[in-house]
Amino acid sequence: MTPSRRETLQWMIAAAALPLARWTPPAMAGEAAAPFQTVADWPASVPSLPATKGYGRDPDLMDPKVPWPLTLTKPQRATVDLLGDMILPADDVSPGAGQLGVGAFIDEWISAPYPAQQADRARIVGGLMWLDAQAQALHRRAFTGLDVGQRSAMLDALCTAAPAGAMEKPVAFMDRLRGLFVLGFYSLPEGKKDMGYVGETPVEGPYPGPTPEALAHLSQLLGTLKLTPA
Amino acid sequence: MAQARTSADAPADVIIVGSGAAGGMAAYTLTKAGLRCLMLEAGRDYDPQAEVNMFAPESDAPLRGSSTPDKPFGYFDATVDGGWEIDGEPFTNREGTDFRWWRPRMLGGRTNHWGRHVPRWGPYDFKPFSRDGLGVDWPIAYDDVAPFYDRVEKMIGVNGGPIGLENHPDSPPDCLMPPPKPRVTEMLIKAAAESVGIPVRPAHTAVLTRDMPDPVAPRKACFNATPCTRGCTIGAMWQTTTSFLPMAKATGRLTLVTDAMVARVLTGTKGRVSGVEYIDRKTGKRQQVRARAVVLAAGTLETTRLLLNSGEAGRGLANSSGQLGKNLTDSTGATFSAYIPGLADRPRYNEDGIGGQHIYIPFWDYDRQKRGELDFARGYHFEIGGRFGIPPMGVMPRVWGGDLKKAVRHASGATISLVLRGEMIPNADTFCEADPQVKDRFGIPVLRFAFKWSRHEINQVAHGRRSAQSVFEKMKGTLLFDPNVPPEKMMTAGGEIIHELGTARMGPDARTSVVDSYGQAWDADNLVLMDGAIFASGAHKNPTLTILALALRSSERLATRIKSGAIA
Repeated sequence: MTPSRRETLQWMIAAAALPLARWTPPAMAGEAAAPFQTVADWPASVPSLPATKGYGRDPDLMDPKVPWPLTLTKPQRATVDLLGDMILPADDVSPGAGQLGVGAFIDEWISAPYPAQQADRARIVGGLMWLDAQAQALHRRAFTGLDVGQRSAMLDALCTAAPAGAMEKPVAFMDRLRGLFVLGFYSLPEGKKDMGYVGETPVEGPYPGPTPEALAHLSQLLGTLKLTPA
Repeated sequence: MAQARTSADAPADVIIVGSGAAGGMAAYTLTKAGLRCLMLEAGRDYDPQAEVNMFAPESDAPLRGSSTPDKPFGYFDATVDGGWEIDGEPFTNREGTDFRWWRPRMLGGRTNHWGRHVPRWGPYDFKPFSRDGLGVDWPIAYDDVAPFYDRVEKMIGVNGGPIGLENHPDSPPDCLMPPPKPRVTEMLIKAAAESVGIPVRPAHTAVLTRDMPDPVAPRKACFNATPCTRGCTIGAMWQTTTSFLPMAKATGRLTLVTDAMVARVLTGTKGRVSGVEYIDRKTGKRQQVRARAVVLAAGTLETTRLLLNSGEAGRGLANSSGQLGKNLTDSTGATFSAYIPGLADRPRYNEDGIGGQHIYIPFWDYDRQKRGELDFARGYHFEIGGRFGIPPMGVMPRVWGGDLKKAVRHASGATISLVLRGEMIPNADTFCEADPQVKDRFGIPVLRFAFKWSRHEINQVAHGRRSAQSVFEKMKGTLLFDPNVPPEKMMTAGGEIIHELGTARMGPDARTSVVDSYGQAWDADNLVLMDGAIFASGAHKNPTLTILALALRSSERLATRIKSGAIA
């Protein structure tokens, strides 16, 4: 088995599971957020998934379908959509994740009857419950009822660089939700365009290789690294 | 493919079990030689033209096409009806073993979704015992196989460039199609690796970069798009379902039966085999078919299982040497990745190319190994990864909002992976056997595995990790792996690389091996094994090209013997 067989997709999935590197590009380091005065308890359990089936070992590849029902409640889905537009908001390059319906993908993911997705279900659904409990503790409202400033402060706290104690699980929830939003958003045509992804179009004849701009960039990098072009 | 026939009295000279690389080659060669073949495939009929969804974006698939237990290599991966698990067809592990067994259940087998990396084995690879005193030598040498490598490369279509390194033979000038240009990440790997004395070369890949006309199964050059592992409707990637099988059928001498689970090989008189018994997977009906010779090409472990469950109870068929099921190997595997800040925000261009890697890192440390300066006896290579796409979350800061979008754009295409694949030396703790209790849904005893890496494999992975680190340092990369965990914690499980080999090995005599260099069983001269089971060692180089070369050599020998009356 070669990586060619575990190409982009496999790599993407494996990479998504990698622990966070203890590294921050200086240009992108966020402000350290003030931790909460009080931290709500992490829910003891989440509602279990109704008995359902996967798509099986031999699904129709020409007509892909999701056979399992979606399970987020209406309020949960509204919270997820709201979070989607906060985590990956509309800008001058692309629309927001909530707007593009990536919330439906999150729902599909945590409703799938497979072990990895079920582990994520506990994290995500638990996290949504915790988010409301924490919003109640801080502001006596559900998360969706908070104003932009209050919601943003909560997200900042959930993106703290070094979470400790009671904040570990909530931060792990937000890490996973961010990861799923990135996967759901950037695998869409709009997301690929956002990344500037070029490809997936037949090119007749020999592979053209890198453009002059790409080669010039490499040449500059090799110079910086003091490497001789091979 | 045409409709499978289930005629129990199909007149055939040769029964071929399995339709993957070896079975496909046998059917092609034997039917072209004028022999009538009956091919039995346990999996279902499969037509790439009708079933391969080449162009759908991953976002059309459930879970964006992510890996699941149902489709471990992603929703659109061409493996159908099988994988690490098959309903009703279990296998077992001895205490302390975590062996995985990949079994497609489809016409064309693994060739529909294989890795396509086809390096030639070199002179050392056929004579490992002579070099380091471990394992056994093959009864043949590189020079015996080279002419068949030449022919196979031209038959299946391989692209690649010159290598010019010890134990990595170059092909004669007319064998290879031109390789694709390297990508930016590949040029960076080459510059960094060669600055620390590690060579980088064009990979040999079984993908056409030029058209391959044929009256029956014409194949087109790769159009540089779509993931190969979904299968290839234009035939650019080599798979038996778009090449050897339609070609063999066109001779009018191939009868193909799918959903035919072969349960045992039947024995006849004078130490010969007479045919096989198979079960129709749909109806459960058992039938026996007979022929002048039987070719087993069911895949290393299915072939071994068949022999263990045939012949003498408790010993199996063709096992006077006691080697059947022994000497099991898989490649070692480990993936080392790094984030390269210098690649962030690099200019975008189409990096699809021919699907997989365009370059790779062949093993280079033979000299020191020969002098005993390394703490492991056999080599490895690195395959490579690193292209535009969704960056791993671990390379981005913990941010949200506009900053997260910026981070994704910044980090896309800035992660590089070096993927180790190494040789395992057969050891006494690694083998397969018929499970004394467990049977599959057809009542056939299942395989039970024992598997253990030795210090050779563990030290080899540690060396690979140090090498990868030195390459990443030259790129000023940030490691995405912990360089201090024990190497065995970074290694794949046995079977996970899907290069299982060696369980019915070839050798110089009936005492020490199961078959001769033509795959002919010492104990039954009309029983020929043609898959990875016959390998006498499991070099780090991916095995399919060698399986094909040996199957071509064995098939021609078998055709000659049948036509000369040596097998009545």
